Amino acid sequence: MTVLERRYRWLLRCYPRAYRTAHGGELLDLLLDSAGPGRRVPEAREVVGLVSGGLQARVHELARGNPWRDGLHLGITAIMVVNTAALLPYLGSLPIWVVVSLAALLAIVRGRTLLALPLVVVTGAKATAIAAGAQLFELTLIPVYPDFLTGRPLHSTTGPLAVAAGYALVAASLPILRGVRHTRSAWWLAALPLVAWAGPEWISEGGEIFPLSLNRLVLAAALITLGAWAGHVSRDPRWALGSALYLLVLSTEMAQHLDFLSRQHLAYWGLLTFVTVASAALPYRYRRHPLD
Amino acid sequence: MSRGSSVSEQTYFVLAALLDGPLHGHAILKRVAELSQGRIILAVGTLYGALDRLAGSGVIVVEREEVVNGRKRRYFRITEEGSGLVQAEAKRMQEAASVVTRRTLGATFS
Repeated sequence: MTVLERRYRWLLRCYPRAYRTAHGGELLDLLLDSAGPGRRVPEAREVVGLVSGGLQARVHELARGNPWRDGLHLGITAIMVVNTAALLPYLGSLPIWVVVSLAALLAIVRGRTLLALPLVVVTGAKATAIAAGAQLFELTLIPVYPDFLTGRPLHSTTGPLAVAAGYALVAASLPILRGVRHTRSAWWLAALPLVAWAGPEWISEGGEIFPLSLNRLVLAAALITLGAWAGHVSRDPRWALGSALYLLVLSTEMAQHLDFLSRQHLAYWGLLTFVTVASAALPYRYRRHPLD
Repeated sequence: MSRGSSVSEQTYFVLAALLDGPLHGHAILKRVAELSQGRIILAVGTLYGALDRLAGSGVIVVEREEVVNGRKRRYFRITEEGSGLVQAEAKRMQEAASVVTRRTLGATFS
């Protein structure tokens, strides 16, 4: 295998596995045939074509099945990542609840919705109780101090209503999703430490009352923008629904701190809202032509 | 044909390349370059993205598959719908071009 072939094989990983199995060899043959003799580095336009073509193929592969149910599953996966990430830094003090929340998230990612339901309900009840300063299931020393990733006690800046809303939305959606198994990439689990980490200071005004970590902001903005692009490419509303559900929970959190929100908070909320509205509109844009 | 056109230039030339009969990916790349006089050199990922999209719209179909050196090679054929579409596009562009050429030719011979 030549250096060029190895590099093209690596670039072909942009395509979904099923696509690579079916057509990877055909594309590779053509890429090698089109390359000049002695070439070791892929041409820039071929790199752009493969990355763009691969991502579009992935989007089309994901845009299968009922978009509303899949969008609902996408949204509750994102919300459950946020719920679990909120507990993760308190592993030492709340080991059982962190494990139960992780199990709930894993069950949702694997599409085991009915298995996830009781886990979400009990974790949600416990997390809401802690946010309200109440005891439930077991005696917990409140405030709960973190072991890593953040310096703030658990839910010290989030009210019980916002915590309950996040879990309630997930719990109410799970029975709707039973019957058809929706699964998501294991990469969602990799987002946990990034969301849990308090990260660099970003909000200069009102940040101590309602902190939003820069890493969480960037990750959410990037994913929602990616979802808008996917909706544009596939003309499918599932990504818009997922983004809207995440935005709903974020809005509930922000509404609790309405009097203390800074321009930065509102600008960020406005940006996410704008991209979410755009991603809802893009799948229904005017079709200029049958091939558009 | 770039902005405001109903079919992208790349799509137009891919469909035009298939008007003479079924072709595989490599032959389509060469034919598009010939027809456009070297102006359009498609990247492989771009070509297959376009072929998948056109096949999904029913404008082209996979005519047959051959195995060459142990690897599959697909031959694509334009459908009647695709043929009608590319001819309608050519007519539209011809009419649009004549709006200008009629005047410039008229000015030359007057």
